[in-house]
Amino acid sequence: MAISVRNLSVDYNLSHVTAHALRDISLEIGKGEILGLVGESGSGKSTVAFALMGLLANNAKVTSGTATIGGRSYDLTRRDATAPLRGRGMAMIFQDPMLSLNPVFTVGTQLCEVLRRRLPGGDRKAHVAMAEEALAKVKLSDPKRRMGQYPHELSGGMRQRVVIAMALLSEPVLLIADEPTTALDVTVEAQIMREIVSLRDRIGCAVLLITHSLGLVTEYCDRISVLYAGERLEHGTVKQVQQQPGHPYTRMLFDCEVAIDRQRAVNVTENRFTVIPGELPDPFRRPSGCIFNGRCDVSFDACATTVPDEFAVGDAADHGARCLLLAGS
Amino acid sequence: MMDAISISKARLRFGQTIALDDVSLAIPQGTCFGIVGESGSGKTTLMRAILGLQKLDQGDVCILGMPLSHSRAALKKRARVLQPIFQDPAASLSPRSRIRTLMGEVATVLNEPLAVTYERLGVILNRLGLPKGILDKYPHEISGGQARRVAIARALLMKPSILIADEPTAGLDVSVQGDLLNLLQDIRQLENMTLVVISHNLAVVRLIAENAVVMRAGKAVESGDVASMFQSPRDAYTRELLSAWPRLRVE
Repeated sequence: MAISVRNLSVDYNLSHVTAHALRDISLEIGKGEILGLVGESGSGKSTVAFALMGLLANNAKVTSGTATIGGRSYDLTRRDATAPLRGRGMAMIFQDPMLSLNPVFTVGTQLCEVLRRRLPGGDRKAHVAMAEEALAKVKLSDPKRRMGQYPHELSGGMRQRVVIAMALLSEPVLLIADEPTTALDVTVEAQIMREIVSLRDRIGCAVLLITHSLGLVTEYCDRISVLYAGERLEHGTVKQVQQQPGHPYTRMLFDCEVAIDRQRAVNVTENRFTVIPGELPDPFRRPSGCIFNGRCDVSFDACATTVPDEFAVGDAADHGARCLLLAGS
Repeated sequence: MMDAISISKARLRFGQTIALDDVSLAIPQGTCFGIVGESGSGKTTLMRAILGLQKLDQGDVCILGMPLSHSRAALKKRARVLQPIFQDPAASLSPRSRIRTLMGEVATVLNEPLAVTYERLGVILNRLGLPKGILDKYPHEISGGQARRVAIARALLMKPSILIADEPTAGLDVSVQGDLLNLLQDIRQLENMTLVVISHNLAVVRLIAENAVVMRAGKAVESGDVASMFQSPRDAYTRELLSAWPRLRVE
């Protein structure tokens, strides 16, 4: 495995109470693989990314967790554990590209900064040429002119392309994309996802795609991990999970997706949307038993008391889910 | 039957940008109408024009057969017929007032006793699945999904016959989104309301709207009943939008 994260737990300390944002999360991403990390808002998806990058807020504390990236091990409980990797081994694409670009520097300056960090002592002209090449690779029109432009002069899709070009230049082992297309239109979304895939093909990095869109995951990812209220409930290849969801939550999440080819019924009352009733559990006091117990449609008595271990789903060794229903099989 | 909203030959420019380019459409009473398109296509500008918040360079807007007037008195009168739900619900709730105060303002506008308004509010909150305790909270103390439902509750409290929702599900989780859309559909049928939904989510519009218009760069490129439009889109852009939609692959 190119990347693995083991037993990552993160707490947020508020004035009187402690919220457990992540509990014992483990992830594996192979070289050249795209892992889709899905979950509702508040499930801790972004906290995983921030913990890996060392960008957690001051009141957050990593209580346990190690990461193996590019053959080296990092103790995530230490402050700035992965700082040497920023801009060299890890790159991140954020939801809002305007926030990851500096408004007072030109695109060219910011791209060359990445190269100065990765290839110190390099020749400036060579850097500029490489930066222009990167902009051309992410299919930004007229790269020479773009180099001299400021972020505010570009559209949302163009800015996200600049950020991808930056990631391309840093040649990371791990690329984290946190909702990279949420702020963009559908047609632009497809283009940006294609650029991320082609970046992966070019440098063979592992990609962690954080999203709430199952459509994106089934279309572009190799593997999927499902997060709920800070716990990983299921993981496997996209095909395995889609064909045989091991956890009721995964099944219900897939049922909620509205298919574009779903026909409208003439009888208006039949045009219903599927929902998962109930709300996320209290982040301050974890209920006993299975974390999904309160909202599950197939729960039984033991679910309220026993915290399920991870069980294999079907015969596949790399497809597991934490549900007591799998215990007997 | 009279159209709830009809727009004829609307044109509007912002400097060099053409925001609305000869847009004409009619929304029949009691139906659900979808406006789809990408950002910058003029969806929200069209909504603002319908609400009378944006004057047109050319063209007319009629609400229930009456031409839109921009006088203050007309705006006040229109508020009883037409209610918007804006894209960012938290931004449309004053951060300095408790939700009870915000709802109480409706009584002043409608000129009805506060007790009567609160009585109706109780029924609406119940139907929206909001706890009574929410009235004592400030907008920042509630979640995004709740803020949206509070905005809907306030709009419904005005007893409108037309409800316009701008991206009602943007930024919500699939399950919360479904809940909200089911609710809007129920309310529409129960109150026989006209519902206009502005959205970039084609799958959602396909399911809830009877008729829709696809906008691009200020133009209405295709319009008609949803079933045939999605089955056999005539315009190249509509086809592009449909094919770009990420779909669940079932193998």
